[in-house]
Amino acid sequence: METFVSIIQTISVIAIPGLVLFIVCYGAIKKVKIYSAFVEGAKEGFDVAVRIIPYLVAMLVAIGVFRASGAMDFLFMILSPITNFIGMPPETLPMALMRPLSGSGALGVMSETFKAHGADSLIGRMVSVMMGSGETTFYVLAVYFGAVGVTKTRQAVPAGIIADVVAIVMSVWLVNAIWG
Amino acid sequence: MMNYIWLSLIVIGILVAVGTDIGEISSNKYQNGKEMKVTIRLENDVSKIEPNKKYECTILLDAHDYQSVYGISLTSERITQKAELLTSSSEQGALHIFIDEETPALWKDISKAQRNSEYLLSKVRIDGKNQTAAVSFDPVKFVRVSQVTNDGIIKYAKTSVELALGLIGIMALWLGIMKIADQSGLVTKLASLLKPVTTQLFPDVPADHPAMGAMIMNISSNMLGLANAATPFGLKAMEELNKLNKKVGTATDAMCTFLVINTSSVQLIPATVIAIRAASGSSNPTEILGPVILATTVNTAVGIIVVKILSRLRIFKKQLEVEG
Repeated sequence: METFVSIIQTISVIAIPGLVLFIVCYGAIKKVKIYSAFVEGAKEGFDVAVRIIPYLVAMLVAIGVFRASGAMDFLFMILSPITNFIGMPPETLPMALMRPLSGSGALGVMSETFKAHGADSLIGRMVSVMMGSGETTFYVLAVYFGAVGVTKTRQAVPAGIIADVVAIVMSVWLVNAIWG
Repeated sequence: MMNYIWLSLIVIGILVAVGTDIGEISSNKYQNGKEMKVTIRLENDVSKIEPNKKYECTILLDAHDYQSVYGISLTSERITQKAELLTSSSEQGALHIFIDEETPALWKDISKAQRNSEYLLSKVRIDGKNQTAAVSFDPVKFVRVSQVTNDGIIKYAKTSVELALGLIGIMALWLGIMKIADQSGLVTKLASLLKPVTTQLFPDVPADHPAMGAMIMNISSNMLGLANAATPFGLKAMEELNKLNKKVGTATDAMCTFLVINTSSVQLIPATVIAIRAASGSSNPTEILGPVILATTVNTAVGIIVVKILSRLRIFKKQLEVEG
């Protein structure tokens, strides 16, 4: 496990400079005009970033309203019977609900949970696994579909939500099985 | 689907906020206008309070007096707060109570609703002989609704533009690198390397299409936790996939599958979690790695199966049909 972890961590450090070096050198060998190709590609960066703004505003404002209103506290109440049933401590519910909505929000929830219960407690471990296995699904959906102007998202949203629920259930089950 | 989610986030949010506020008004949670007895101590040995002057002072409030006003008990026996007295006469004036760690949570809420994060605005009547004063906070109403307006709507509208603009540089860098990879034939080479897998996942996309290369680069960056490289590759992949789209504005099957793989992404290095665990004093910060890899592998597999099954449903198939 330790060596695996250190190999993986080394990869993550050298991946970006390594990738840049490799692609640039490969391009030069294949006689691509690398400088002008880079500039040509980079020009699109601005357009893409500006194009996603309306989608991002729409999504983040809705999430902001929901978070600031305290509606999550009501959701905790409604969901607690279900979470008890799958062996999920109620203290981990804020993370489960925050994770797909907001990355910074989920980070805040994780730090608070560590402060209250400790990182090595069962709750702390469960929250860590949820944080690591989750993704800000709604942000990704807004940005990716926004970049190509898609508003009819078809099966992407339900499938994405189901995958998120599976990640939460798996986190609960694995942590309970290993450390419970 | 997006419509319903958007609608429910906004409607539920605003209704809960209004409901909470109406509840707080009817129970008078903030005790608007009610006077509290406090001890007031002026700094710098001031002997006489004069009108239209500013004084530094400290106020002391007994837990028992706090409880008689708000009906909630305090953890400490008394609260000591720095304040600023602005007199209008020798007996009356305004008092600004500075917020610090000792400030009760309820008072912090009041100051937020007063739209002032540094101090609480209040009126004061001073009894100079006994060094006591009667303090009443400037009334607040609709605390939650104003939080929704300020912390929700206005702040997030601003944040989203900052986020998007913050992407420009990193976006330009990776799209530039991507162009080199594209022109040198590296992207098509990568795509043909993983042909057996990708043609199964994305049957509608030609195996040597540039979208394949971009998607592979996005998925592998995501697995390694390289979020800032993953987004530009992913957006490039979406653009390429959109070139194959016959009905602009509607997601194709390939786009949906790609997004589900993306949001459920197998995580080999949850770097942020490990860093925060280490900073929080965990004895073994990386112990969560195994469960994370397993949980994300399972949820990616389930996600792919679900998105494939859903794509066969009539309601979703119908949306792809081109009219006329």
